[in-house]
Order: sequence, then structure tokens, then C-alpha cells
Amino acid sequence: MSTSYPSAPALGLAGCECCGLVLSIDRRAGTWRCPRCDFRLHRRKPQSLQRTWAFLVSAALLYVPANLLPVMSTSNVFGHDDHTLVGGILELWKSGSWELATIVFVASIAVPLLKIAALALLSATAQRRSRWRQRERAGLYRLVETVGHWSMLDVFVVVLLVGMVHFGVLASVEPEAGLLAFGAVVVATMLASASFDPRLIWPDGDEHA
Amino acid sequence: MPAQAVLPQRRADLLVCEECDAVYPRRALAPADLLRCRRCGATLGRGHWLGVDGQLALTVAALVVFAIGNLAPIVTLELSGKRSEATLFQAMRLTWESDEHLVALLAGATAFVFPLVVIALRLWVLVPLRATRRPAGLVPALRALRWVMRWSMVEVFMLGVLIAVVRSAGISSVVLGPGIFAFGALTLLLTSIQACGLHGLWDVAEAAPG
Repeated sequence: MSTSYPSAPALGLAGCECCGLVLSIDRRAGTWRCPRCDFRLHRRKPQSLQRTWAFLVSAALLYVPANLLPVMSTSNVFGHDDHTLVGGILELWKSGSWELATIVFVASIAVPLLKIAALALLSATAQRRSRWRQRERAGLYRLVETVGHWSMLDVFVVVLLVGMVHFGVLASVEPEAGLLAFGAVVVATMLASASFDPRLIWPDGDEHA
Repeated sequence: MPAQAVLPQRRADLLVCEECDAVYPRRALAPADLLRCRRCGATLGRGHWLGVDGQLALTVAALVVFAIGNLAPIVTLELSGKRSEATLFQAMRLTWESDEHLVALLAGATAFVFPLVVIALRLWVLVPLRATRRPAGLVPALRALRWVMRWSMVEVFMLGVLIAVVRSAGISSVVLGPGIFAFGALTLLLTSIQACGLHGLWDVAEAAPG
């Protein structure tokens, strides 16, 4: 059924990605800019897949130090402790806040991993111009876009704890190197999903263009 | 390039799905109408109760609670008679002083600078539009707004505050300050404004004279 939809390039049309204006354009005459918002009109985001893969690989590499290195350290009169992401979740769980522990687990561990896996699947299938489950893949892309920035949660939690708990030798919290790696994972996955062009899921239009 | 290239022609009667390039006739949407792409399921358009007036009112309110949220303490902690009032600015400063400069900048940008820019750009565009004037610098303002909205993370910050409060409760006594409620209100306001999208503003701005 999906083949029966008229697609913009086949009809000599282009929708502006920025302001939504629809234009009828002559693509043989090179590239145009939207007369309303001056955004460059591309049929596809330029180098979409290469850029998506590059950000994905960076995110996957940074995911390792983000989870192995401590993201923060606490010190009090009894000593000094390092805390990793997983450690923080376990602490919340043990203190009885299993709801919050679940939220942090989903935001910090599950979402970044699933985002990397989902975008890798989307890029790989788009590269092969696959027609496998196109509608579901489009939904997956929207899900990745929606949940993306929630992974920043733990960065905010640590920064806030640093700001809240500063009682000198009695109790203090310091940020550690793992936090930067984790923040970089979140930024890299957000850039990867921004680089991916969902129109690549629907290659039908190309043949008729 | 061919000699007789035809300039782009506007097709105000059509709508193109941004996610799959399917073409639809454009039609007016009543409030609460949601138009979805039949091919890929993406949202094509949404009818809103909020016109320019409504959006402007919510944006002004957002500016007020943004100021309260950043000036008033989010929480106050007490340990052995020592008190510590936490604000977002101070949390960023202490992170910076712990030599995690990039983390401090990342948190400061996404929780403070970008939300402030979102509010400022909306006011910049909405105030003249309310007087049916075309805002100065409309194109750069709306294009910057489109980019910065993506990186503004007040709602995530809000949830982070709640989790930080729970985690610090084991260390000292915690009293919630006015800031936390202001950030809660800011989350609701920015989410409502954001839901209107930007395409509507482009359409309104285009109709405004001069």
C-alpha cells in the first residue's frame, strides 16, 4: 500500500524542513533556498548516513568510560568514595526509592544503549534501501527523537548534588571524569539522531524522480 | 545550470510530510485537530487553542518563573548547624571550580542559557506580531529558535532536581525552596508553548505587513 502515495520529489515539489512551506521547484537547476526562511532545500540531509555513523561510533566508544569511570565522588569525615552511574542507581534502590532508581536506570543506561542500537538499525536498513517494516522504523525514529535528551538527567543530578552538598570536611560532592564522558555520549547520540534523515526510510520516490 | 531555471513557486495549497515526503492537500485545522501522515504516521499539523496572544501570555509567564527559579534557592540543606542554599548558578559555579569545565558549560547551556534564549527569541518575535508588525530579523530569530529549542532541557533538569533531593536526603536535612516550584511551573509553561511548534509562527509572520 505504501507505494500508492505521491511523493514530493516525484511531483517536482519540496517541503521546507525549517518552516514547512511547500514549493514547486526545478531540481535540475541546482539547489534552491526557501524564499520564506532562506533554508537550503535538500531532497535529503547532506551526508546524512556518514554523519549519523560517525556520531554513533563516537557515542558507542564514549559509553565505555562513561560507565567504567566514576561520575562523582563523595567525601566526609570517614573518608572518600567514588560513585559510578550504576552505583548511584543501586544507592537509590537500596534507600527504598525504587521508582527513581528505575527512572535513572532507564534514562542513563537503557536509553543511550537503545538509542545507539536503534539508530544503527535505522542507518543500516536505510543504507540498503530496505522496505522492511517502514512504518515501524519511522515510529522508532520518532521515539529516538522524543526520548533523546532525557539521558542528560544524570549530568544534572551530579551538578546539582555538587551545588547542594558542600559542607567542607563534613560532607561534599565532587564531579569526576566519567561525567564528562557521559555528557558527551548524550550529545553524540542527539547529534546522531539529528543527522539521520527519516526520509531515507522511504526510498520509493527516487525511482520516479 | 540550465539557462531558463524556473524560480521556486509557492504551493500554499499543499502540505509535505517532513519525515517521508508524502504530499497532502493543506486544510485549516480546528483546535485539538491532529493531522497524521497516513504513510509514516508523523504529525503533519496540529490545531491550537493558543494564538499569538496566548503564546505571548505564556512566554511572559515563563520569563517570570525563570527569574524566580534562578534567583531563589531550589533547596536548602542543613547539616550540623551549617546551612547551604543551592541555586542552579551556584551548582554550575562549584562544578566549574572542581575543574569539570565542560560539564559545567553543558549543564549551564542546556538548563540556563538555551531556555533563556528560547524565551527571549519568542518575545522578540511575538511582541511585534501581536501589533501585526513584522518583527525585525524574523528569519534569523525563528531559525535560531528552531535550533535552540532542541537543546533546551528544563524538563530534564526538573526531574534531575527531584532525584538530587532524594539522594541528598540521606546526607542532610533538605527543605524545598521557591526555586523548585518555579522550575516546575517553567517546565509546564515551556512544554505548552513548545507544543505549538514554529510553522504557525512562520505563517502568521508572513501575513504581517512590513
